[in-house]
Amino acid sequence: MASDSSPARFNNTPSSPDDSAFSSPIGDTISSPAAGTSRRNKRGRGRSAATPPNNHPRFAGSESTPTPLHHGGRPPTPSSTSEGAPSSEAGDDMDEAAPTFVWGTNISVQEVKSAIQMFLKNFRDAQSQGAEIYEDGKYMKAIHRVLEIEGEWLDVDAHDVFDYNPELYGKMVRYPLEVLAIFDIVLMDMVSQINPLFEKHVQVRIFNLKGSTTMRNLNPSDIEKMVSLKGMVIRCSAIIPEIREATFRCLVCGYFSDPIVVDRGRISEPTLCLKQECQAKNSMTLVHNRCRFADKQIVRLQETPDEIPEGGTPHTVSLLMHDKLVDAGKPGDRVEVTGIYRAMSVRLGPTQRTVKSLFKTYIDCLHIKKTDKSRMVAEDAMEIDSSTQKHDEDVEFDEAKIERLRELSKLPDIYDRLTRSLAPNIWELDDVKRGLLCQLFGGNALKLPSGASFRGDINILLVGDPGTSKSQLLQYIHKLSPRGIYTSGRGSSAVGLTAYVSRDPETKETVLESGALVLSDRGICCIDEFDKMSENARSMLHEVMEQQTVSIAKAGIIATLNARTSVLACANPIGSRYNPRLSVIDNIHLPPTLLSRFDLIYLILDKADEQTDKHLARHIVSLHFEDPELAQQDVLDIATLTAYLSYARNHINPQLSDEAAEELTRGYVEMRRRGNFPGSSKKVITATPRQIESLIRISEALARIRFSETVEKHDVTEAFRLLEVAMQQSATDHATGTIDMDLITTGVSASERMRRENLVISTRNIIMEKLQLGGPSMRLLEILEELKKQSSAFEVHLHDLRNAIATLQTEGVVAVHGDNVKRV
Amino acid sequence: MVGPMYDCLANPLGAIRLTFEKAVGSGCEPSAFDGKDWGALDVFREFLVDQGNLSQVPVLNSETLKWVQPNTLVRFRGMVQDMLGNEFYAGAYKDGSGWRTNKFGDDSQQPIDSSPDVRVWERRLLYCVPVPGLNTWAESEAASEATVTSMDLTSQQRDKRQRMDAESMDYEVCPGSNIVLEDSPSAKRMREDGHPSLSVQLSDLKPEGPCSSTMMRPEVGDSPSCLVKVYDTRESELKLNDIFEFVGVFTIESEPVPADDGDDIDLTTGFRNDLVHLQANKVPCLHCIVHRKLAVSDFLRSSPIIEQSKHVVMNTRESLLRHLTMLLGNDGVAANYMLLHLLSKIHARVDNVAVGKLSLNLTCLSKEALSVFGVQLCNALRNLLPFTDSIPLTVNYLNTACLGPKKDYQRNRLIGGTLQLAEGSHLTIDETQLETGTLNSVGIENARLLKDLVELQKVEYDFTYYKMEMAADVQLLVLSEGKSNILPADIVLPVRPSDVSRPEVVSAEALGAWRWYLATMRTLSHTIESEIQEVVEKDLVAARQADRRIGSKEFSSLLTMGRLMSLSFGETTLSLEHWEMVKELEKLRKERIN
Repeated sequence: MASDSSPARFNNTPSSPDDSAFSSPIGDTISSPAAGTSRRNKRGRGRSAATPPNNHPRFAGSESTPTPLHHGGRPPTPSSTSEGAPSSEAGDDMDEAAPTFVWGTNISVQEVKSAIQMFLKNFRDAQSQGAEIYEDGKYMKAIHRVLEIEGEWLDVDAHDVFDYNPELYGKMVRYPLEVLAIFDIVLMDMVSQINPLFEKHVQVRIFNLKGSTTMRNLNPSDIEKMVSLKGMVIRCSAIIPEIREATFRCLVCGYFSDPIVVDRGRISEPTLCLKQECQAKNSMTLVHNRCRFADKQIVRLQETPDEIPEGGTPHTVSLLMHDKLVDAGKPGDRVEVTGIYRAMSVRLGPTQRTVKSLFKTYIDCLHIKKTDKSRMVAEDAMEIDSSTQKHDEDVEFDEAKIERLRELSKLPDIYDRLTRSLAPNIWELDDVKRGLLCQLFGGNALKLPSGASFRGDINILLVGDPGTSKSQLLQYIHKLSPRGIYTSGRGSSAVGLTAYVSRDPETKETVLESGALVLSDRGICCIDEFDKMSENARSMLHEVMEQQTVSIAKAGIIATLNARTSVLACANPIGSRYNPRLSVIDNIHLPPTLLSRFDLIYLILDKADEQTDKHLARHIVSLHFEDPELAQQDVLDIATLTAYLSYARNHINPQLSDEAAEELTRGYVEMRRRGNFPGSSKKVITATPRQIESLIRISEALARIRFSETVEKHDVTEAFRLLEVAMQQSATDHATGTIDMDLITTGVSASERMRRENLVISTRNIIMEKLQLGGPSMRLLEILEELKKQSSAFEVHLHDLRNAIATLQTEGVVAVHGDNVKRV
Repeated sequence: MVGPMYDCLANPLGAIRLTFEKAVGSGCEPSAFDGKDWGALDVFREFLVDQGNLSQVPVLNSETLKWVQPNTLVRFRGMVQDMLGNEFYAGAYKDGSGWRTNKFGDDSQQPIDSSPDVRVWERRLLYCVPVPGLNTWAESEAASEATVTSMDLTSQQRDKRQRMDAESMDYEVCPGSNIVLEDSPSAKRMREDGHPSLSVQLSDLKPEGPCSSTMMRPEVGDSPSCLVKVYDTRESELKLNDIFEFVGVFTIESEPVPADDGDDIDLTTGFRNDLVHLQANKVPCLHCIVHRKLAVSDFLRSSPIIEQSKHVVMNTRESLLRHLTMLLGNDGVAANYMLLHLLSKIHARVDNVAVGKLSLNLTCLSKEALSVFGVQLCNALRNLLPFTDSIPLTVNYLNTACLGPKKDYQRNRLIGGTLQLAEGSHLTIDETQLETGTLNSVGIENARLLKDLVELQKVEYDFTYYKMEMAADVQLLVLSEGKSNILPADIVLPVRPSDVSRPEVVSAEALGAWRWYLATMRTLSHTIESEIQEVVEKDLVAARQADRRIGSKEFSSLLTMGRLMSLSFGETTLSLEHWEMVKELEKLRKERIN
């Protein structure tokens, strides 16, 4: 690999005249920086050995290349110059000339050429194979398309190369410079066969290598190999114009020289005018606007956090971008780069030829892909239909990993195991964890053709006593969820959560800045201290939690932003501790409209239960005195858990089976009917349509946990159980002990409502009895006395009475002045 | 291999090259040495360890830097502050007919052609700084008495000098004569009086404030920091914030440009003007041959007590407790807690829980009270622990300080914040100076960082595009008037000083014994018997039944205290007696709070 310059030499042309014309990277470095720039692209290099004129178009803007390509008609092969063998007669059978090997390798030029030709001509996608044998291959179609749109490059999926010819793939990865040079030549041959008048130079861009390395693992053996890396762009240099061809003019006679090509990063300035008549010495001057430049940019790529081992800092690597790749990535972008890893030596000083023993390394970029948006910089039709488009997670899965995950999913106790793995250091609360697990997996979002959409995200509210590790759960989920924002209610304002409009200090333009909920689109937004949030901020959540959008209409900006986020909130009961005497609503003290938007509301009560205390004590003792690794066996580590999660979220889209749907309807009807037990006249609404949506979501999530494409009956049963566990705690009517959805939706339980109605009726009766129309008024306390006399069965408070009187007042029966009640 | 064959000290590269040529001469292909050693390490190991010549190797510090010759063997003790990635170099190349190596060296005299006869090898670049908050005594015991007794400016200056000497650790090498000055008192005197010019030289250093800000942090980029090039080690071996002693070949290198490789691929139009940068900063560079991780105990002069008998431990514990009691104004309970606090060490991490931490919040300290014994306390801690630091928590400080480490992409370096501390550091946060005021965004961020450190023992490193949490193990002591709300410590304890005494003069022997005691006891392993475990569990359950406010956090602190209590007696299993002591202590503390 250190034989840096050598590969382009061919063993049967050791004294190729072109040797002088080719620029090795090391040669380049030797050239002074002042001399201007210079390191030519590696691929240019490979070609320049044989075909100097052809390397320009590769990296030059097409507009500025009027030329050289078909001066020579057809580009000669690397070997052709001295050999004179017309091996560029592509497709012809190899002539009798001995096979040409690329120097120092086992690559036979002819062999590789024919292999590439075969690949380009004959490769077909797996799905298209078979039927239309007469149709053109995938890449023939692509070439035609490139010609149509006058493109400058052809994207080649390395997987395709591998599938077609593993040997060729191996050679390409090991000797990218040589093989790509040949690839380009073959491609140009084919292009000129199809359309001899096509002027542009078309290049091959390889992407999607079989294996990708991490920055950390790049080592000397990777030099001059094709590698693929993931990382984050942290800096981009300014665009550097790199001179490719220089034109000089004589100051004396005005004669323009022929374009002089950069050689080893240097331009040999003519010392005397070439015009016969002039021959003035040192009169040549550079004419800038007749020179050709190519764009170049240096980009630094840094490791993403997930690749950094514990106790390490991120590594960085430099990328060299040319032409179209310039500005393809901006700082902050997560990209996947395919390129050639290169090393070059460093000079001691700008003017010295002596080099240090150090090498600088960089990657000559061939292809760049933004991974976070799955958007290809090179917009290529073939990739749009590739499945990568659909996934928005950056986690890629290789087959072995998928297989492992699938195996995991087949375990009979996977549901319990996942539950155990979720926040293993938090004791008990298993049902809460199950709910959270469902939230992490999520249901299917559904969009009807009519435009109505149903969210797939599950919202959960945890209400509980202090010290029940709610916040820890939240923190844990936040860490686990693919994209999430953690905020604290007290520190969040309405705009901070949704979006706000601000004025750019420089341009004075209004700009929309996303808040936490928008930022956690397709993630989980964790809101701690939900109860301490301002009323105003909470009301912003209504839209987000059902419609999953944020609408903004202010300061000249009207916009609807997506906020497909699950909300996980936690709150303390109103008096810090749960007061069992008060209703849940009173305890939670949140508007019912908001409450109904939570699929699951967990009440985490700190019951003085000796058994759980004992568990807790044992748990913590073992934490302190035993090896904590041993204490929690058969628990998935976070990495596996996240992988499992994101795979399920991306690849599993369960559908309701008929059986499950039936069970769902049955259960729902059952739930609604439950309030009407015989002998009870009161009407209790046990479930609302929102609940059935919640149920569907939860059962979908449960199916996803098993990697199952269908929602089975037992998923639905479990969903009912989860809902019940959550609801029984949260919607228990403390007067009757039944589940009462009204408690959640209106804040008053049915029995409570009945009691109030009774009170109003009896109060009305008293007033009708005791008070005459227009007569003297009566004090509230007197009415209270009367009431108590009448109904000894239940206690009446002044507070309740006031409510009843207020009702009567609205009915227009009485008028109230202070404590005096008057009939009107 | 015979020692005298090689002059490892003055010409280590010669030794390395000789062994290489020998190895190649014996028929090995140079390519066989890709990422491997050919026997050079053995020579050095033999020289340093077997022959005990480590002490002859000069320690790199601002003093020795002036006369140490390049390409000689030096030592450096420091913390890995930043990692600058890997560097490729021409490890072996063919010069004429024979192979030569460049390993452990920088320069190749002749231009290396792009010949195939070059093996490219790689090495790791680490940016190391002196251990943050390293105390003077870690180098010289002679200084300890001076710092305890006098607080005047001159002694502080001397402090500083000794701090600078601190890098020379146990011994100092005089220019010219490679004589090691060990314990002899005359040597100490020589050291104290021998360099009168020193304090002058160093007087331009950053002025030090009173107690709370006394701990001068070595600025990143100050002379004693060092670029260490490590060869052939596994990545997991060297971690950020670990303390190491490196022995290797010393060279002078320009500011770590290699990490910036590529930036000047295109020199004039690249990211920055390299030339200016190059001249400004010459960083000493060490090609590491041998390294070893240092623990706190390595900073002790020598173990004053070789035998770890129960009797000695008990005596040391008693005297240390007495000393702490006196420091805290005769508050025995506080002294007990302080002792446990000083022994605390994180021994496991489960998810977000760092098991073993015991941060202490001493309350009921007014500004006045603190001026009396806060200073004493600070000094005492500095004398007891090798790495201490303190933060004055004022609004202004929070708003301006740079607590969390941050990556500077302009310089491509990690700028170490105050909270980038080595494992086992002690940090005192003085909240008594906090007054009402407004925090700006920096202040809020800093307050959050501090809170995270107290609660989770983690520090967030800011890499601009993302943040990374790094585990820390820092003993945190918070001094405040009331219970600190910004920094929720594990133990909140109101101090009840009854009598303010002048600081006693502590003998060097006692100090030595205490340091040894603190350093050794905290590293002991610990277990629990099943009977005791049951008792403990029962007690915990009972406590929870009695007071519902007691949760897992309180349980954790109790258990940590139990563990530390028995460790303080040199025991490795929790006994009932110690558990009772912990409960008693807690009872006394609860009484104070209510």
